[in-house]
Amino acid sequence: MTNQVSRRRFLKTASAMSMLGAGAPFALNLATIGAASAQVPDYRAIVCLFMFGGNDHTNTVIPYDLAEHTDYFNARTSIALDRNALTATAVGPVAAQGGRSFAFHPALTAFKQQYDAGKLAVVANVGPLVVPTTKAQYQARSVQLPPKLFSHNDQQSVWQANSPTGEGARLGWGGRMGDLLAAQNTDTIFTCISASGNALLLSGQNVIQYQVSSSGAVNFSALSGSLFGSASAGTAYRRILTRTTASHLFENEVSKVTTRSIDANEKLRVALAGAPALTTPIPVNNSLASQLNVVAKMIAVRNTLGAKRQVFFVSFGGFDNHDFLIDQHNQRMQTMNAAVNAFTSWMQELTIQNNVTLFTASDFGRTLTSNGDGSDHGWGAHHFVLGGAVSGGNVYGTFPVVRFGTNDDVGQGNLLPTTSVDQYAGTLGRWLGLTNTNVTTVLPNFANFGGSPYLGFLP
Amino acid sequence: MRGGWVARTTRALTRPAARARSASITLVVALSMSVAGCIGGGDSEQVDYGTSPSSAEASRFLAQASFGANSSEITKLQSSYYPYWFEEQFAAPQTLHKDQMDAVSATLPAGQSLNDNHVVNSFWKQAISGQDQLRQRVAFALSQIFVVSLQDSTVSNYRRGVASYLDMLGQHAFGNFRELLEGVTRHPMMGLYLSHLRNQKESGNRVPDQNYAREVMQLFTIGLYELNPDGTQKLVNGQPDETYTNDDIVGLSRVFTGFSWAGPDKTDARFNGSTVDPSRDVLPMQSYPKFHSTLEKRFLGTVIPAQGTADPDGSLRIALDALFNHPNVGPFFGKQLIQRLVTSNPSAAYVGRVAQAFATGRYTYRGWTVGSGARGDMKATITAVLLDAEARDLTKLNDPNFGKVREPVLRAAAWMRAFGARSASGNYLLGVTDDAASSLGQSAMRSPSVFNFYRPGYVPPNTNIATANLVAPEFQIIHESSVVGYGNFMRTAVQSGVGSGSPRDIQPDYSAELALADNPDALIERLNLVLMYGAMTAETKTEIRTAMNSVSLNVTNVTAARQNRVYLAVLFATSAPEFIVQK
Repeated sequence: MTNQVSRRRFLKTASAMSMLGAGAPFALNLATIGAASAQVPDYRAIVCLFMFGGNDHTNTVIPYDLAEHTDYFNARTSIALDRNALTATAVGPVAAQGGRSFAFHPALTAFKQQYDAGKLAVVANVGPLVVPTTKAQYQARSVQLPPKLFSHNDQQSVWQANSPTGEGARLGWGGRMGDLLAAQNTDTIFTCISASGNALLLSGQNVIQYQVSSSGAVNFSALSGSLFGSASAGTAYRRILTRTTASHLFENEVSKVTTRSIDANEKLRVALAGAPALTTPIPVNNSLASQLNVVAKMIAVRNTLGAKRQVFFVSFGGFDNHDFLIDQHNQRMQTMNAAVNAFTSWMQELTIQNNVTLFTASDFGRTLTSNGDGSDHGWGAHHFVLGGAVSGGNVYGTFPVVRFGTNDDVGQGNLLPTTSVDQYAGTLGRWLGLTNTNVTTVLPNFANFGGSPYLGFLP
Repeated sequence: MRGGWVARTTRALTRPAARARSASITLVVALSMSVAGCIGGGDSEQVDYGTSPSSAEASRFLAQASFGANSSEITKLQSSYYPYWFEEQFAAPQTLHKDQMDAVSATLPAGQSLNDNHVVNSFWKQAISGQDQLRQRVAFALSQIFVVSLQDSTVSNYRRGVASYLDMLGQHAFGNFRELLEGVTRHPMMGLYLSHLRNQKESGNRVPDQNYAREVMQLFTIGLYELNPDGTQKLVNGQPDETYTNDDIVGLSRVFTGFSWAGPDKTDARFNGSTVDPSRDVLPMQSYPKFHSTLEKRFLGTVIPAQGTADPDGSLRIALDALFNHPNVGPFFGKQLIQRLVTSNPSAAYVGRVAQAFATGRYTYRGWTVGSGARGDMKATITAVLLDAEARDLTKLNDPNFGKVREPVLRAAAWMRAFGARSASGNYLLGVTDDAASSLGQSAMRSPSVFNFYRPGYVPPNTNIATANLVAPEFQIIHESSVVGYGNFMRTAVQSGVGSGSPRDIQPDYSAELALADNPDALIERLNLVLMYGAMTAETKTEIRTAMNSVSLNVTNVTAARQNRVYLAVLFATSAPEFIVQK
């Protein structure tokens, strides 16, 4: 029954959308209707969890078979994790990886639970590429490579940009997806939302990212009620803030941001006032959890905000573990585990878990080599995708052999990615509602990765 | 004829008593070529310092060169000339944040130690009340180029160390870039932040930490791409030409091995940090040959041959010399200094002139020459930034592309200085103001990463700024939440002051403004001059006038009414786009 209803509503929406013309963002093909029918109709969101600084992927997903763990341990020496610390978070054997077993970082207990529940997938050795690249091609520089590999700010940009572009990139793949999907939303402003400051990922050609505070809607106190003994001054103050007639480009833009802020925050304030209470507590001293909490609240009031397709961005830092890796990385993993665990609960409370997919990203992976008590900047890395729609309990891509001198090792055990960020992004985008054509519009290099470069973690 | 003729003789340049604008004056100045900041040339030459700055010119200069203008500084500069202002500022003694940390530590109850607020408060104390405004303003700019941050969990264990890092930047602000680079590289807070403190030579699978080797090139000296002397990129086959490869990083990373905490010996325990000298947080790192790589170090065309006896200090000297002498440094650093002080999008010619001052170590303004003549002279470079025609040209107020967003810390500073804010405790207890939604979204020495609060090349997407191919670094922290945070911060600040305590520790002195509360136009012009050098728009003036007049003075409590009028005027002025953007 539900299936029929959602199918009918779906088709109705489809014809409504087609009225918008060739550029209309309408995507779902018949193959995805089955998946859509299991979900709350007409809503999908992806949530990017960005680990700033370059996550040490080597200690995040670790080979667990004895011989492979020994290789890992010998390669990393002082910054390796003991095998007996990994028992509780071990997963596998994974058929797709030749029956190999792996373990998550010991702090990632909730990730292990979600993996076992089939809701969390690992994508192995993913990173920016322009075209599929072999080690020989990398060494000879005979194919185009992403710019400024191993550099923080550039690789943050490369990961988030629609095509591998270093710092200064203007378009992010989340923002470009938003461009193509925003027409489904009542308010374009609530399409691409960052809970963590300006994010290149969310920069589109048309959509403008809305930057929400962890505390939700924020309002100018001077705009309500009497201001310094004057009943009329608040109105004058608003005119000061929102006058967009200045000839100076910067002045005008400040006023535009403020105008947008006042409008969007008022809508959000009204919407959040009707939000259902979430009972799972927000983990304390955990800014990532606070960000994910405001994302959850906004998802809770999606209908009031008229949002049907959304891209969110949350982040936390402290991953540049050149020093004190074991201790500092452990703290980050604990923070992430608690935050993601709470977010999963909030999605379940809202029974929206099948419509929201969270995925991780980071500047880069790190060296396999130790510099004493840390690791240095790398390239490819392992990432997580989590949500009710995810075909989880599996490891996608090709998990590398964790040794020096392999075909993936471009120096110090740095990984040459075997899966591209474009494939990762395209798979998320198709699920979010992009057509195949739209995916290649968003990600110009997508087609470089084969006839059907999609990964299997989402339909 | 233009005023301000100055005869050169052999005595030190001294600031004359207040003079009327355009008056012809004669004074004695230094002859010596060798002393930085003194006048070169022959005896009794006539030097034309031009017309003294107008009040608007003085206010605008002070917005760029200090933490904000106020009436008395404007008046003082109006009756003087820029060279005198610089000489006075160059000579002003530095007050050390470290001393403030020690003084505060001594008053803490047993069991309590310094926290981040203490460091930030010390920053505010000097920014608001310090006489050495140019040094402090430049040190703050340098702290956003050579970034260390209390947000780092390791660095934050050493609050006094971070205070001393800011002191080190201030100390070298008027010195030479080569010494600044040495100071930055050797400071233990940078050593902790970019992890070259305790960095060891290669062994087995272990390789030296590459963090500092990468960032010292990318962020502190040469940048990613080869530059022309005017800061534009050199193109090879139409493409930017990268300055270094990963091999250069590997080579340079060997240099930054074998440095760690200072102390009276070089034991392993001191290297590792278990033997602790009480001053190690403020002393430059020392070398430990045992842990220094002796392999050949090859980078940027420089080769340090394999060493029979490890010589970390020798390796470091060669490496820093090589970086310092790279032709990129002048335009790369000079452009960022312009962006921090004057404008986000300087012309190539402006960058070129600043780079020229950096390269030659001299800058000449109307016959006044500043600088030692050595490459990297900071006084010459700073003066070139602030006295360039492009910086001083008042018609730039009408250029829709000129200027920079005042970052939130500078907005709050400008407000405090404009209204003579003083701290009841004397310690400026404003503390950390990180939260963007409820506060300034920025605190000194608390950048989120080594890439500062914003990047010099940041382009706000989907804006006319992007369409015009301009950068706007500070826009990276302007968004829908942070505009509200600043607005509400100021809404409370203008009325109740800022800082902890009740009443709040830092209170503005509005006595001059209250005296003008009955005369809105006079108050408006006062704010217009002090906060925005005459650039207030007619629309903003109208709104302030209307709002002030909406508060009747025909009431019992006329004092409160006058206060409300001042609060409205100050809030409106500090919220207006023409204040937010410094032009």
